[in-house]
Amino acid sequence: MNELEADVLLSVTVLRPEEKLLGAALRARGVDVATVLPPDLGAIVRGGAAARLGLIRNVSHQQALSTARLLEHVGVQTLNRTSAIEVCGDKGLQALVFSRNGVPHPESHLAFSFAQVREAVAAFGWPSVVKPVSGSWGRGVTRMVNEECVDAWIGGRESADAAGKLFPVLVQEYVDKPGHDLRVVVVGAEPVVAIRRVSDHWRTNTTLGADVERVEVTAEMAKLCRGVTDLLGEGFYGVDLVEDRAAGALKVLEVNANPEFAKSSAVHGVDIAAAVADHVTAALALSSAH
Amino acid sequence: MSTQTTSADCLVCDAPFTIDAEWEKGEIVECGSCGQEHEVAEQTAALTRLELAPEVEEDWGE
Repeated sequence: MNELEADVLLSVTVLRPEEKLLGAALRARGVDVATVLPPDLGAIVRGGAAARLGLIRNVSHQQALSTARLLEHVGVQTLNRTSAIEVCGDKGLQALVFSRNGVPHPESHLAFSFAQVREAVAAFGWPSVVKPVSGSWGRGVTRMVNEECVDAWIGGRESADAAGKLFPVLVQEYVDKPGHDLRVVVVGAEPVVAIRRVSDHWRTNTTLGADVERVEVTAEMAKLCRGVTDLLGEGFYGVDLVEDRAAGALKVLEVNANPEFAKSSAVHGVDIAAAVADHVTAALALSSAH
Repeated sequence: MSTQTTSADCLVCDAPFTIDAEWEKGEIVECGSCGQEHEVAEQTAALTRLELAPEVEEDWGE
């Protein structure tokens, strides 16, 4: 059998611990899995894929999106869907989609020039946040606390991107959170676990050293997650929620279409890979029945 | 640049890798001699092929 002929194509840029766990969980359920690296896509597209599902786990956002598009065009469903990957990979699109569909989200403006960054920051007041529309792990996310911060941000940016090709950027209201945020892992349409990420730093990404502790999934969290899956479709998401102390309510900060879980699973004890494998196995059984 | 043997060498310093049957395609393995990261481009019973690991890109993330 061609090594790329399998029930599930596990598309990766590199095989992280998460993808090893996902592959093992699927194989333990009797599912044929083939790992697909970007160079394999040519053969898949030329030959037509016999696979029934593409599990998109590329750490490169661009590769994830282009791979999902290709697979869908040769008749292979993907998890997550191309449209969901597109929205999750672009914080500007997320802000737009959430705003237009009533999902609570920090107020955000897309800025397409240095002048528009100044205008948006001035409109929000101090502090406010500037972040790249694509990117992860807290990279490039900057808190503007005064005019000098804006000058420094623009100065650095101009030297690296004089032509302004990296615009737009997202300018966002700063949410005064209580020293932590929340990550809810959603599989299908179900929130399977919630964790609190605690840090002394205002950025509470686990990659930046935040501590993790498990919390119960509340009705409010579940409702927000349902709002997300109603918009993006069922899938595998890391939904980041932030508590706005002033409003006393949670907001959806962002949704990740390629959540990492290997390290946090060791803390909260929920087998995320098994949950995803169960969801995929059920989806395959459902498609067989039709 | 790649090697196509069952006994791969480091693509930077030529030190031999000890092939591990548990390696999976796509996994990152490190040269024990110079520390260069390699990606397992193919891994079958008959063939282990290594390539230099991709560098972290701007758009990498969750």
